[in-house]
Amino acid sequence: MKRNPSLTLALLGALASLVLAAPALADEELNLFAWSEYIPQSVLDGFTKETDIQVNYETYASNEEMLAKLLSGAASYDLIQPSEYTIEALVKEKQLLPLDHKKLSNLKNIGKEYWNQPHDPKLAYSVPYMQGTVGIVVNTAKIKEPVTGYGDVFQPKYKGRIVVLDDALEIVTWALVANGLGQNDVTKTNLEKIRPTLAKWLPLVKVYDSDSPKTALLNGDVDLGVVWSGEAAILINEQPGKFSYTLPKEGAHMFIDNLAIPKGAENVDAAHQFINYILRPDVSMQISKEFPYTNPNVEARKLLTPAERANPASYPPGNPKLSTFRDIGPMAADVDKLFTDMKAKSGK
Amino acid sequence: MRQEATGFSAAVAGSRRVPGRAGWLLLLPLVLWALAFVVAPAVIMLVYSFLERGTLAGVVWSFTLQNYAGVFDPVYLQIVIRSIIYAGITTAICLAAGYPVAYLIGRAEERWRNLLLMAVMVPFWTSFLIRTYAWVTILKSEGLLNSLLMQFQLISEPLQMLYTPGAVVIGLVYTFLPFMILPIYSSVEKLEGSLIEAALDLGAGPVRAFSRVIVPLTSPGIAAGVLLVFVPALGIYAVNDILGGGRVDMIGNIIENQFKGNARNWPFGAALGTTLLVGFSVIYWYVNRRQRALMV
Repeated sequence: MKRNPSLTLALLGALASLVLAAPALADEELNLFAWSEYIPQSVLDGFTKETDIQVNYETYASNEEMLAKLLSGAASYDLIQPSEYTIEALVKEKQLLPLDHKKLSNLKNIGKEYWNQPHDPKLAYSVPYMQGTVGIVVNTAKIKEPVTGYGDVFQPKYKGRIVVLDDALEIVTWALVANGLGQNDVTKTNLEKIRPTLAKWLPLVKVYDSDSPKTALLNGDVDLGVVWSGEAAILINEQPGKFSYTLPKEGAHMFIDNLAIPKGAENVDAAHQFINYILRPDVSMQISKEFPYTNPNVEARKLLTPAERANPASYPPGNPKLSTFRDIGPMAADVDKLFTDMKAKSGK
Repeated sequence: MRQEATGFSAAVAGSRRVPGRAGWLLLLPLVLWALAFVVAPAVIMLVYSFLERGTLAGVVWSFTLQNYAGVFDPVYLQIVIRSIIYAGITTAICLAAGYPVAYLIGRAEERWRNLLLMAVMVPFWTSFLIRTYAWVTILKSEGLLNSLLMQFQLISEPLQMLYTPGAVVIGLVYTFLPFMILPIYSSVEKLEGSLIEAALDLGAGPVRAFSRVIVPLTSPGIAAGVLLVFVPALGIYAVNDILGGGRVDMIGNIIENQFKGNARNWPFGAALGTTLLVGFSVIYWYVNRRQRALMV
């Protein structure tokens, strides 16, 4: 075959450009493992545009699902988004990398009250992403009386009109608090003490739904419920004046979802960059707009509209009694058993 | 050898040839797939069921029988019984509703048969979850059914149909009906008209012809249909969660809780799964034995 000089030149040229482009091809990636429906696509796209880092976004629907996949070692993740009690358990088992605060210049935007939480007092391993509460939503068009606590919700007159979260730990802690016990005092004796309360409450429930409790309220199938604050905030935004959100007077659960870096992370630098990006007020505001939970970023709160700031589900007024979940370890199995038992006995 | 009139029994008792080398070579991919994705996971599940729960998740390698004690604990046993009842009711309704449909399609003219079969199978082309959520839209307070009934002034207030055990049964029957219709149809199609005519000629009334001739001849299809409905219905967890409002927990939901819920008790979930697997195997073996007995 006659040697073709232009072909050789073209091939050499292609090879050269490949070699020169190689550093650009070795772009960093970020393996993000987070809750489904919690990070707006615009936020992810904005990050890739600014830093050229490709974000691989995988989702889960519960902390336990995340733990199962993370600990199986099947894939390596750079960032996870656990709730506070899971952070506590992960830190105990030394599964998280300590954060380099020098790389997180925007960390100062996080409100003071988030810096001394029991699960991570110095924010050494995690950064708060969004905070929320679990509280009482009432369809005020149908229910005119005040509903201020768990005792008001679980009354026989509301039988079959109540929606609650399908979460054993949540419901058990409501019963504990309603009986004057500590929210995190999950012991075998206390579980037996609340058994009659659960026997009274559960037959009144129409729907158990942790994924989208607002659906039953919007459908008119239920008139009140105890749900996530974000769900209530969306209801209030969608149909103003029709729904109210109150924190139970006996005491309410506050949850903080955080960003953290697991032990086997490969792209630790990219992870820090992402966290710092999320901590920017303009980015954090985008998250608040789509998922109206309580934003721990005080600078971002200043960028919200007055209506959004006034949403009682996103930013509950006053000084309510709030506490986070602690890791209860093996008692989780007992909680699940009690809940299964009472749920089965209450239904058909 | 008796004239084999039905497909299932032919497959069971018909060609008892052992595969030659070429046959095994062709079977190899399936065997490997079965080993990797059926046998291996079942063995893992069996092993896990005897271990202890880890602190964060996962397992601790120490032998214990407490998981099986938990399986037979009254708390969980009541859920198992409830699952069996729901699966049984679903199977019975599917049989009662599905048999006539399968019979009509099987005895219909050639040109209608394919169309009718398509009608039965078309829903499978949509995601099963979407079809279940469609029932939410139909049954909810402000849904299609209630709006229709209110429109024609048959009721004054919306009926509470959703989030009830009845809604769960509707959802289950809807999901599993094709699994009953298709195997029975396959049996009915192979029925020889001459046998039925002979029965009628010999003086049997239509009822006796049906119960003494048609049903036994289609029993392999019925057996297959019953297995195909009862066994999956026992393990269902999505339909009852969506349509029952999370109130009708079945054994599938309990197992899900152990892995994806608060409990984080993988060994217990594995024990429940292994128990179910053993239960299924026993049922399958029993049904299979009865079918073989009929072939004698």
